[in-house]
Amino acid sequence: METIKTYLDNMFARLPRTAQIVELKNNILTNMEEKYLELKNQGKSENEAIGIVISEFGNIDELVSELGLNTENNETSARSISREEVNDYITFKKVTGIQIALGVFLCIMAPIVLILINALIDSEVLIAPESSGIIALFIIITIAVALLIKSGMSLERYKFIEEGVLLPYDLENELRQEYSKFMPTFNLNIVIGVCLILLSPISLFVTSQGDSLTNSLGLIVMLIIVDIAVVLFVLSGNQKESFDRLLKTGDYTPKKKADNKVIGAVASIVWPLAALIFLTLGFVFHLWYICWIVFPITGILFGMFSAAYSIMNDNSNNG
Amino acid sequence: MISSDVIRGYNDTIILYFLLQGESYGYEISKNIKELSEEKYIMKETTLYSAFSRLENNGYIESFYGDETFGKRRTYYRITTSGIAYYKEKCEEWELTKVVISRFIKEWRE
Repeated sequence: METIKTYLDNMFARLPRTAQIVELKNNILTNMEEKYLELKNQGKSENEAIGIVISEFGNIDELVSELGLNTENNETSARSISREEVNDYITFKKVTGIQIALGVFLCIMAPIVLILINALIDSEVLIAPESSGIIALFIIITIAVALLIKSGMSLERYKFIEEGVLLPYDLENELRQEYSKFMPTFNLNIVIGVCLILLSPISLFVTSQGDSLTNSLGLIVMLIIVDIAVVLFVLSGNQKESFDRLLKTGDYTPKKKADNKVIGAVASIVWPLAALIFLTLGFVFHLWYICWIVFPITGILFGMFSAAYSIMNDNSNNG
Repeated sequence: MISSDVIRGYNDTIILYFLLQGESYGYEISKNIKELSEEKYIMKETTLYSAFSRLENNGYIESFYGDETFGKRRTYYRITTSGIAYYKEKCEEWELTKVVISRFIKEWRE
């Protein structure tokens, strides 16, 4: 019986999902199931019965032309996707998610290591050339960037999914169920991440009475806590993204996609600019101990911009 | 088995024939066609439902929901007055077709 349903799902996969079509499909399904049950009652084997029912289905193009459906116009030019491809994509997203998370983790670790080495040198715990911190920073950043580029490039393979695909009904239902099962975990991760960030300055207060090395250690502990929170965001956000992309929900509805293009363009200017300010403040003005603040500030401002942009775009579309 | 090309113009007529005898639903009609044709003609699912949708759009039949069968509502069809008129027209057309075509049919005696 399940075979018949899957067969019909595949046959109807490229048709638009209007109420009329869904009803038609249900009628045909009932019809086929009745035929199947009767064949079974006549003593046909499972395989024989399914074979006969499917051979008497006919040709889907007949329905398409009768209903006057133009399959090209109904967003069905998107290709459909098989169960294997969906599973591959989800596994693949998990792997690249870990790579991206590691890359981001290292990006934040780089200034932490710099601060640590400088503090150790300043307090004469570590005897090393003064440039060791900067060298360490660049080595870590290089590894991080390499990781990010690698994961970005391997995503090319699944570009067709990012451009929007058609899911067969049964797959879509399964994914929706998995998605709603995953959402509590996602929300929990975000809550934990936000709490970690809010609590992280405590380490600054605790160490503020100590000497400069203790101060630096406080700062380092705070940044590491923030780093862990960011990794949580990246990992769970990446997993949510694979669902959203497949189901075309969240950020990947057609309208949101258009928003994201503009926001992405702004991001490509703003973030390198922030990095430039960070490096200038550090190298030229020797403000390494504080210049990392550029990133959280940029983050907050950019978040405000993209939220405001989406809302304004909503209004102009509705009005 | 008759090829569906030959019979195409009369699928609607066949379905209307059964609806003339009372309201019915997809599977019953397709089963009746198979039986009455002594399994020489089996109407495919897509042919049957294309015909239903065409007949309904032309106002020759009406659909409505029947009782539930294993959890699904079954769609029933009944013929309308214009459907009856259309059926008569098609019957006359067939009579004529039969006469005309048979003039071109040669009887072969072995």
